[in-house]
Amino acid sequence: MQPLRIALAQIAPRLGALDENLERHQTLLAEARAGGAGLVVFPELGLTGYLLQDLAAEVAMRLDDPRLGALAAETAGLSAVVSFVEESADHRLFIAAALLEDGQIAHVHRKLFLPTYGLFDERRFFAAGDLLRAIPSRLGPGIGLAVCEDFWHLAVAQVLALDGAQILINVSSSPGRDLAATNEVGLGTATSWRTLMRTYAQLTTSFVVFVNRVGVEESISFWGGSEVIGPDGAAVFSAPFYDDGLYLVDIDLAEIRRSRIGLPLLRDERPELQVRELDRIVAERAGLASDSTADPDAAPGLDVAPPVPAPTSSSGRP
Amino acid sequence: MTGAVFELPTELEIDADIARRVIAEFIRGQLRQAGFERAVLGLSGGIDSALVAFLVAEAIGADRLLCVMLPYRTSSPASRADAEEVVRRLGCSSELVDISAMVDGYYGRDAVPGALGSEGLEAAPLRRGNFMARMRMAVLYDRSVTWGGLVVGTGNKTEALIGYTTLFGDSACAFNPIGDLYKSQVRQLAAAIGVPDAIIAKAPSADLWPGQTDESEAGFSYPELDRLLFWLIDKRRSPEELVGKGFAPGLVAWATRAVAGAEFKRQVPPIAKLGPRTAGVDYLYPRRRPGSSRS
Repeated sequence: MQPLRIALAQIAPRLGALDENLERHQTLLAEARAGGAGLVVFPELGLTGYLLQDLAAEVAMRLDDPRLGALAAETAGLSAVVSFVEESADHRLFIAAALLEDGQIAHVHRKLFLPTYGLFDERRFFAAGDLLRAIPSRLGPGIGLAVCEDFWHLAVAQVLALDGAQILINVSSSPGRDLAATNEVGLGTATSWRTLMRTYAQLTTSFVVFVNRVGVEESISFWGGSEVIGPDGAAVFSAPFYDDGLYLVDIDLAEIRRSRIGLPLLRDERPELQVRELDRIVAERAGLASDSTADPDAAPGLDVAPPVPAPTSSSGRP
Repeated sequence: MTGAVFELPTELEIDADIARRVIAEFIRGQLRQAGFERAVLGLSGGIDSALVAFLVAEAIGADRLLCVMLPYRTSSPASRADAEEVVRRLGCSSELVDISAMVDGYYGRDAVPGALGSEGLEAAPLRRGNFMARMRMAVLYDRSVTWGGLVVGTGNKTEALIGYTTLFGDSACAFNPIGDLYKSQVRQLAAAIGVPDAIIAKAPSADLWPGQTDESEAGFSYPELDRLLFWLIDKRRSPEELVGKGFAPGLVAWATRAVAGAEFKRQVPPIAKLGPRTAGVDYLYPRRRPGSSRS
């Protein structure tokens, strides 16, 4: 089998400069094509920059936006993942990642989990997506798209794999932080991500493609460190931290079959068990069923029972 | 480690290479977004401004950096010599602006009242120190125009947390590359980037009066205070848990109070909310965006 050449576009988009970023995407698409790539992956919000705040509405594109169409038109005989602010017909704004193939928008994944804690404030400006689907691709194996924080929720990688994805693609704008020297690679954020991607690749016996941006916006620096992890959980390629560049990586898709035959974890998954238990948990949290782990006297939907008031003497006698 | 020159608590040690890389990108990014290619900073001879000078020189080249030395007539001559050594090592541009006339013109000198009248002659050292910091700020922002560069902040995380800084004085800047580094980490990075040992080893001082040092004035050691603040702020430990970890109860109480008391110094002043969209409240844009660069 011919190896698949993946181009990781570890770039630093200009904040709010949609036209300039579109141009860079087109240039890199051409460069990746010339380099023999079959799949080109750009980072989260690579077309707009990340810390948009109120700019989000100003750079948003509908899926029928001609600029997006023009970018898709550059993908004849090529697959590309690009990310932007998507405005729905009812004017909700999403952080979207789209798979472009053969001139078409093949699929749009709307970011499911919007971090709104610590240094993140995404839920204030964006709507969360509701769909998680693996998608067929001209590349052969099914593709699963996720955006940054989506990968900090266990179910996402698993659902994508169960749905048929064999290449999981995560596009990110991950701000680097925690420079404690005790971290494995000198950067806490990178250490966490690297652990997580290897774990997902191994447990789903899939390739994991991670493309994280670089550059600086306001206080934060994006650390890059894009990677391709094989279905055995070992890194095929690790891009340098903080360097802007287009990195070409060859992967052997036959690795997926070898891994899944040798380590049939996906075969042994029990989705029906999860559905049953999740249905129960959802019902318990909604107060529609009694909660086995709650205080016995807790009200439906709550897990702590308030103290029973001490009996008060009503007669006034000592 | 270069433990001979300074003490670096284990939990505060950072990856100096990554820190330098991030800071260099940060400095270049801040300047580019604003449409500037040059930077200016106030060089005191202390470790914080020396480190920032080295970092700026590393990021954009020494030829694009202007260091302004801003002594008052009672400032330590040794500090001036240390500042000059930094300039010499970096080969950057420098200027000397003596702020004595500005400060004395306000408070007066030798029983001759200044703009403030006779009351100014009695002004306490801390008040004068704050005024000096604001005069230095005024000079830096003026030189920022003539040099065509942004003012780079030189305050560290320790002093920002305990409020050891003058509002609209030394804390005023366009951006700050070391504001998230504790003093101990400033020392680590300074050693890694080549700041002269003499500057790293000497006792930090606001130089408000001869012989003053931060640590003697407030009764703490930086390594200990840095560790305390790291566990309190970064690791979210409660004051009770800090005492349980072995920190002196008196220092825990003092630091906790100092941090809370300085909250206002670390934030943009609130605007009374009246209209439909208010800057910083519900009008939220990045500081730099298309159209906001001067170039």
